Amino acid sequence: MKRQIKTFSTLLIALMMMVTVLAACGSSDSDNGKSTGTDTSTDTKSTDTATDTGGDDKTADASKPDTSKKVQLVWYLLGDAHKDTPKVVEEWNKMLEKDLNVTVKLNFTTWTDWTTKYNLLLASGEKIDMIFASSWADYYKFANQGAFMPLDDLLPTYAPETWKSVPQQDWKEATVNGKIYAVPATYPEYTPDGIVYREDWRKELNLPEIKDLDSIEAYLDGVKKAKNVTPINGKAYNEIFTMFKSYYNYQQIGGDSGVVVAKSYDAPRDIVAYPFTTEFEQWAHKMKEWKDKGFWKSDTLSDQKEAGDAIKTGQGAVYWRNAPGAGGYIMGLQTSNPDIEMGYFPFSRFNNLTMPTLSVNNAMAIPKSAANPERSLMVLDKLRNDPKYYDLMNYGLEGTNYSVDTTDSKYIVSPPAGTPKDDKDHTAYGVASWGYRVESMERVKQAGGWPGFDALLTEFKSQSKPNIFAGVLMDYAPVKSQQAAVNSVIQQYGMPIMMGLVPDVDKAIANYRKQLEAAGVNDVMDYIKEQANKYYDSQGIK
Amino acid sequence: MKSFFQELNRNKTLFLMIAPALLFFIVFSYVPMVGVYYAFTRFDFAGGLFGSEFIGMKNFEFLFNSGVLWNLTKNTVLYNIAFILISNMLQLLCAIFLSELPGKLFKKTTQSVMFLPFFVSFVLVGAFVFNLFNSDNGVINTVLQQLGMQPYDFYVHTAPWKYIIVFFHVWKGLGYGTVIYLAAIMSISDEYHEAAKIDGANIFQRIRHIIMPMLVPTFILLILLSLGGILKGQFDLFYQIIGNNGMLYNSTDIIDTYVYRSLAVNFDIGMGTAAGLYQSFFGFVLIITVNYIIRKVRSDYALF
Repeated sequence: MKRQIKTFSTLLIALMMMVTVLAACGSSDSDNGKSTGTDTSTDTKSTDTATDTGGDDKTADASKPDTSKKVQLVWYLLGDAHKDTPKVVEEWNKMLEKDLNVTVKLNFTTWTDWTTKYNLLLASGEKIDMIFASSWADYYKFANQGAFMPLDDLLPTYAPETWKSVPQQDWKEATVNGKIYAVPATYPEYTPDGIVYREDWRKELNLPEIKDLDSIEAYLDGVKKAKNVTPINGKAYNEIFTMFKSYYNYQQIGGDSGVVVAKSYDAPRDIVAYPFTTEFEQWAHKMKEWKDKGFWKSDTLSDQKEAGDAIKTGQGAVYWRNAPGAGGYIMGLQTSNPDIEMGYFPFSRFNNLTMPTLSVNNAMAIPKSAANPERSLMVLDKLRNDPKYYDLMNYGLEGTNYSVDTTDSKYIVSPPAGTPKDDKDHTAYGVASWGYRVESMERVKQAGGWPGFDALLTEFKSQSKPNIFAGVLMDYAPVKSQQAAVNSVIQQYGMPIMMGLVPDVDKAIANYRKQLEAAGVNDVMDYIKEQANKYYDSQGIK
Repeated sequence: MKSFFQELNRNKTLFLMIAPALLFFIVFSYVPMVGVYYAFTRFDFAGGLFGSEFIGMKNFEFLFNSGVLWNLTKNTVLYNIAFILISNMLQLLCAIFLSELPGKLFKKTTQSVMFLPFFVSFVLVGAFVFNLFNSDNGVINTVLQQLGMQPYDFYVHTAPWKYIIVFFHVWKGLGYGTVIYLAAIMSISDEYHEAAKIDGANIFQRIRHIIMPMLVPTFILLILLSLGGILKGQFDLFYQIIGNNGMLYNSTDIIDTYVYRSLAVNFDIGMGTAAGLYQSFFGFVLIITVNYIIRKVRSDYALF
């Protein structure tokens, strides 16, 4: 009997604990509501006292935003935190608390599955005060669907310096349906696709200098035969697909993964689906040859390895990178494998054409759910324009993560002076701070300080034309079921053709086209044409 | 109604004890079901769940229009039937072997070894598979080459993948299922065995006439439970093993991978929910039908 009572009471206690836990969940919500209520009341009180103590102060500060209420903001950046990030943020918060009476909780999505997480953060309506936004993270789509807050009215008041310093063209590129939804970074970049390759092998084997498709083929062939390594050893789709686009001067419209392209830069209104062109047929046959010669492996589509990792172990020779990425990769190799010499070939040389990235390639936006948008803008304004803030949030702590370059005080060096050369623990401070970069505030050289980059930049600038394609606004709402089906067909039938894996190229292309049509590629194309023409008309592009 | 309250009053302790479980299901399974409504709306961030525009069945179109749904459903169902039948048979067999084995140490070790794959994540399984089958330095092709035979390009032929996928699924779940059957076998009273032995039954006769019939309820229960998910493919298994390799989709594409591929580029809450609803709805219909049939045939084995 006694035992029974004991078991029963244990059960009862367990149950009660369960109930309290659940009750706590519920009540914490209402607590939140209450606390915001009290917050506002203290807020009005403190402003009251302010008016009581000094009328002069108030008139002097009339133009200045009210920061008397202490606020905690939540910011999100993509990618991973650095191991020193907690210390950096702590330092940042000390400064912020003094200057603006706010603290910021800085969160990261990590790179694993970041698209899904990013989408969910916005869709779930989580309370976020500022988040990284980008044209490659569907900025236009989200802005169009109302995920972000329009900033036109807030910017002049709460981020005056930024409002003045960001060029008009940049604001224009951030505008969706007549409203600005993000503060773009002021950091013009050229990011043409290209390949890094083993230059030392090219010299050793006396292969021609890489300057066109034939010399690339000769190089791949030479490396494959003489060195007996698979030149693109790993995932090879990016290498081949970007090469294809650049070689034929096809300009993709409406996302990096679709099939719809403008046939060339000079004919932006000549819009086609590339699998239906004769150029694609030629290319597919060529790629079949390349695959049969063993330039990549037959399992490349299932492989999870990056081709760049194979180069480090001497098992590969070619890797797809955009120009700044190539610099970073090459500089990285110089420290890990100093005996390897790399070269870089930007695909922009096929047609001597580069386009600068859009300003919203990197930006910061405020989600709809934000409670304190004006404070976030004030913090951002500080971050972009105050060197103390800028250096801290981009390069970390002085002395720990970097020190000022003794030869040129504009630049910094990392690891800081005095760190032993063989200190393997030191990694340069770096988070995905791209959303608030400003070129004039930068204290490191682009492309990881790669010496070859300056020459490339001059080359890019000399052949630069404005980017007239990336701004075409597309949310695919009217054709989304067709677009979904097309996406799936591209992967199932298109990618194997692109990689030359199919046994009979002509038959495979015929089938691919049939499947695309069945999936509704024409509806998608008509939609894109309509949107593109609308955009060209509004921008005065012929 | 009155009798319900009487019942409640009489067994209040029992009801109290079931309350947490009930609450759990209400909070985590029934309330979220409201989200099914997403399948019929054009989601926008300003409106949220009920503020978004109602668009009827439009979100389902991408499944039906492209004409692939039949093939996908067929693949998913056939794979799952293969999984369920082969897994259960093998688990049953292993459980019987294990129960008849003498020697505690050997038995325990075997059981643990069989159980271990259950803890291996599918990401690792994907890596195993790639390292076994890839064309360059995969284990199998290396062995073939060493033996002087032609290497086989696994990643461009669809034929072997059906078997590879089923094999790895069975391999991963074997230990887990065996434990369930083993528990069922252990609960069979020794009296049956003793009586059978006295009557001169050999081991095969005992398995056939005692263990097998006693395991039928467990077998049916497990089958019924797995049938509910027959339209839900094992996304992690297929995605990790096949990845983005379009060459193999003809025989390995299931609803889940198709939906992932279609919507990964254009994140769409409405269409994602629509696909999930399609799977759940047919799973529901299926389990109701099968349960109905079982209830007609042998009512005491039915789930409800």
